[in-house]
Amino acid sequence: MKSVVIAGYARSPFCLASKGDLAETRADDLAAHVVRALVERAKIDPNDIEDLILGCAFPEGEQGLNVARLIGFLAQLPLSVAGVTLNRFCGSSMQSIHNAAGAIQMGAGDVFICAGVESMSRVPMSGFNPMPNPFLAEKYPQAYMSMGVTAENVARKYGILRREQENFAVLSHAKAISARTAGRFKDEIVSITTKTKVVDQDGCIREGTTIEKLATLKPAFEDKGSVTAATSSPLTDGASAVLVTSEDYARKHGLQMLARIRAIAVGGCAPEIMGIGPVIASRKALSRAQLTIKEIDVIELNEAFASQSIACIRDLGMDLDKINIDGGAIALGHPLGATGARITGKAAQILKREGKKFALATQCIGGGQGIATILEAIE
Amino acid sequence: MISAVSGEIKKVVVIGAGVMGSQIAAHITNAGVPVLLLDIVPKDASDRNVITKSALEKLQKADPAPFMNAKNSRWITAGNLEDDLDKLKDVDWIIEAVLENPQIKSDLYKKIDTVRKPGSIISSNTSTIPLGVLIGGQSEQFAKDFLVTHFFNPPRYMRLLELVTGPQTRQDAVEIIRDFGDRRLGKGVVSCKDTPGFIANRLGVFFLQTAVNAAFDLGLTVEEADAVFSRPAGMPKTGVFGLLDLIGIDLMPLIAKSFMATLPADDVYRVINRDHVLIQKMIADGYTGRKGKGGFYRLNRSEAGKVKEAIDLKTGAYRVSEKAKLAAVEASGKNLRTLCEAPDKIGRFATTVLLQTLGYAASLVPQIAEDIVAVDKAMRLGFNWQFGPFELMDRLGTGWLAAKLKANNQQVPAFLQLASDKSFYRVENGQLSFLSLAGTYVPVQHPEGVLLLADIKRSHKPEIKNGSASLWDIGDGVLCLEFHTKMNAIDPDTLLMVKKSVVLISESQGRWKGLVVHNEADNFSAGANLGLALFALNIAMYPAIEDLVNKGQEAYHALRFAPFPSVAAPTGLALGGGCEITLHCSAVQAHAETYIGLVEVGVGLIPGWGGCAQMLGRAFNAKKRFGGPIPPISHVFETVSMARVAKSAFDAQEIGYLRASDRITMNRDRLLFDAKQRVLELVKDYKPPEPWQLNLPGPTGRAALNLAIEGFKLLGRALPHDVTVSKALASVLCGGEHDLTSPTTEEEILAMEKREFMKLVHMPETVARIETMLKTGKPLRN
Repeated sequence: MKSVVIAGYARSPFCLASKGDLAETRADDLAAHVVRALVERAKIDPNDIEDLILGCAFPEGEQGLNVARLIGFLAQLPLSVAGVTLNRFCGSSMQSIHNAAGAIQMGAGDVFICAGVESMSRVPMSGFNPMPNPFLAEKYPQAYMSMGVTAENVARKYGILRREQENFAVLSHAKAISARTAGRFKDEIVSITTKTKVVDQDGCIREGTTIEKLATLKPAFEDKGSVTAATSSPLTDGASAVLVTSEDYARKHGLQMLARIRAIAVGGCAPEIMGIGPVIASRKALSRAQLTIKEIDVIELNEAFASQSIACIRDLGMDLDKINIDGGAIALGHPLGATGARITGKAAQILKREGKKFALATQCIGGGQGIATILEAIE
Repeated sequence: MISAVSGEIKKVVVIGAGVMGSQIAAHITNAGVPVLLLDIVPKDASDRNVITKSALEKLQKADPAPFMNAKNSRWITAGNLEDDLDKLKDVDWIIEAVLENPQIKSDLYKKIDTVRKPGSIISSNTSTIPLGVLIGGQSEQFAKDFLVTHFFNPPRYMRLLELVTGPQTRQDAVEIIRDFGDRRLGKGVVSCKDTPGFIANRLGVFFLQTAVNAAFDLGLTVEEADAVFSRPAGMPKTGVFGLLDLIGIDLMPLIAKSFMATLPADDVYRVINRDHVLIQKMIADGYTGRKGKGGFYRLNRSEAGKVKEAIDLKTGAYRVSEKAKLAAVEASGKNLRTLCEAPDKIGRFATTVLLQTLGYAASLVPQIAEDIVAVDKAMRLGFNWQFGPFELMDRLGTGWLAAKLKANNQQVPAFLQLASDKSFYRVENGQLSFLSLAGTYVPVQHPEGVLLLADIKRSHKPEIKNGSASLWDIGDGVLCLEFHTKMNAIDPDTLLMVKKSVVLISESQGRWKGLVVHNEADNFSAGANLGLALFALNIAMYPAIEDLVNKGQEAYHALRFAPFPSVAAPTGLALGGGCEITLHCSAVQAHAETYIGLVEVGVGLIPGWGGCAQMLGRAFNAKKRFGGPIPPISHVFETVSMARVAKSAFDAQEIGYLRASDRITMNRDRLLFDAKQRVLELVKDYKPPEPWQLNLPGPTGRAALNLAIEGFKLLGRALPHDVTVSKALASVLCGGEHDLTSPTTEEEILAMEKREFMKLVHMPETVARIETMLKTGKPLRN
């Protein structure tokens, strides 16, 4: 079977939805810039690209139609490059990597752009026209449960106190600030020129986040709950992209390989505690990779909420020091469709940067799912 | 010619970003005109525009809001007098609102004069400095272009604009500002003579000082004094001491000082002006009113909650405030003279204050104004008195007043003497006239474009009427339906009059062309008469309630589809059923200060007279909207379930209670005229609207809204009965059981409104909400 590698990673700055610097930028434009930059940076022949696979959680409005194809046009990819938009909510762009990996191993192409985008400023969460199945909504309302409520459910079920969540959030910001200060985002961020300025910095990270400040916030989803805006990932605008190729192609063309994809998995769980999805998916992926969690050196765990992150860390027995060392989604933001490619690209990047052996990127998904990717270093 | 001369004010600069300056700037943006706001550069400022920028920030937070639409703030540019002075060359009107210091103003005017464009108009918002002093040392052209425009605080809400001109002021400049003030800023513009305090402050300050003196002298409590000079005298409920708290107690000595320096040597104010030890101490200790630590009243916030306290005028100590129950007031039955004749200290208090104040007013014409009409208008609009001083004199009886003054050894002003065997105003052949200084009666004239129902009512009989509403002929074949119940609550008789009006006009064979729905009360309508509804509910007369729902739906439906145009012309509150009638008219000509909203959820109900249907129609037909069926529905759902009330007519357009095609009149006095013109415009080729159909999503949309409602419930923002009412609303707005592919008609939505309304009416939680609203005026949260 062909070996599959990650040979490039780029993203836009991640900015707060509605009030951030990217609020007036269309999702398709945003993603096209990132895709174009990725292709240029990797110095590949665009004619070799088989497909642009793009994840988006609410693919409608400006990010609707088959936006992947439109982004291909905007990014001036050759017309021969196909485009497909896929949706697994927050796991969408990690799924695009999985699809590419599967295709490569099937011999259905060697070079794939696996991207993701979400403008949460311009397309609201749940879309413009939420129209739930009335029967399901009545008989099984958790199918449509708000993400914040699932975070409360996880906090209750796992006995995770508000204070623990706040500590986690403060740490996430601290790690992101230190990564930014050390210039560790420089290589991945593609600057975006908007109508008014050039945006080249993340906009969600808050300097001076303290436990004391966070303790003053009101619960965001339940009046007696423990989850606040600060212990949730913010609504974010952003795009990301990863270059996925066969190892043979990468070697032949001298590409900068970051990591090899060792195993992938998805799995379902109860929708009302969707935040523990990473536990199911990671266990499957670890088993397929014939690894234990202890053998994993680098972990990118999407911080949809502090409560679910803590629950997953506990259940999987993860080592906190290995997790999200450049900061997680609570600090960086979580543009739904774009996050999967970001954390997979980031895991690959850290693996190479730190000279480690194995990495895991995993995230929870609304509706009760998890997705995981295990990467290994290329000797 | 330059724009200002041709009468167009396209750009304004306001200099001085204090409370008045910045709020005047805000109100000018309400007229759709951009403003440059300038102030000085403070020493060592890192941001040279810091004063104007922070003024702009304050404006955005101020309550009540100075902007009629929050977005108007973008029409103000913050600048400073050093870097931006040259921008005056593009400005048509320069308003100066800096410190009340003649030297500072004079220096500023000289600077302005060097850069402003020829023909631009300059005005000062001074309240104390005579125009003659202000133009001293300025160029001849400056004096020609200069006048005083005195706004009242807060400028958006207080309707008086005093205009003072000098002998040199060019007439066209005066007319431009008068017209802009009247039509665009919505002000009642009153020409004043160039005398200290002009009209309103001259009399208002005298009145307040007299009332304070008398309260001290006669040993009244602040509550007692305020209970007399509020409702019983047709004055705002803040009374005397409450008003002083509002304007700032420390302002009074400053005004007194200025008056003592400028008023004529024999002015009576010099006699009544007195310092009170207690008040001096209050000011010294920072008890300057609402802006300070407290005033004559204060809210004491303790652990037990907020307690309203009042100061004891004898001891200076605060005590719990108690509403004054005055036998004299109750016995007077709204008759001011009876109140004055009460044989107790309350009667003496009322008499003393009125004799002095009204005697003073009678002595000041023509010193401060050409005629009594200007004086009365200034006091009505500047101090919110229901009656001006001369109208008050008529109510008391001019003969009675003169006799009382004589008996008190007070001088009877010559003008009062002249009026003492007649009245200051009279109505003859339906025409209101006022007494001139020559002793003759002169008709009260309005500017062109002003039409008042009050005038029509003097000269006409209603076409039809009942206890709740009347139908008036307002000329040119247009009728005006006037509500006249308490708070203009809508009851079966009101609805009957709506129906009868429709029939009358429809069957008039062209005699009547259209209808305006309008009245001149403070509030257009507070909604359906809840008292009647509660009475029926308490004896379980559900058929009566259902009948009322039917009557409302039928009447409003008849109005909407009538073969003639109807124009609603609301001002003030237009809530619930009052909002719904507006929604059913062919067009709306709203006063800018219209506070419209569907607030039924506050009493546990949903709109049942077509409010849901009409809001859906508006939302689906709005030009700017996201695609699909859910966005318009969720917009209406948010608006109605939160009982959102617009903060102005402009805000109502943003929310969707008014359509983009509906129009707004800034000046209340012009509202009826504008509405009538709108009817006449619509009459040409008028076709009643076609009933629409909407493709509503039915259960799937309801499921989406219900999910949102459950979210609010978890957050504690929706209490149990909120959930019930919101779900009923969601069901109606989504078209009940309809599918997206089967159109829902207006009539079907009306039927759903009624069905859900009746379900809610049967619930004890709804009854409890209605009871609480009637008892306390506040919604019950259950």
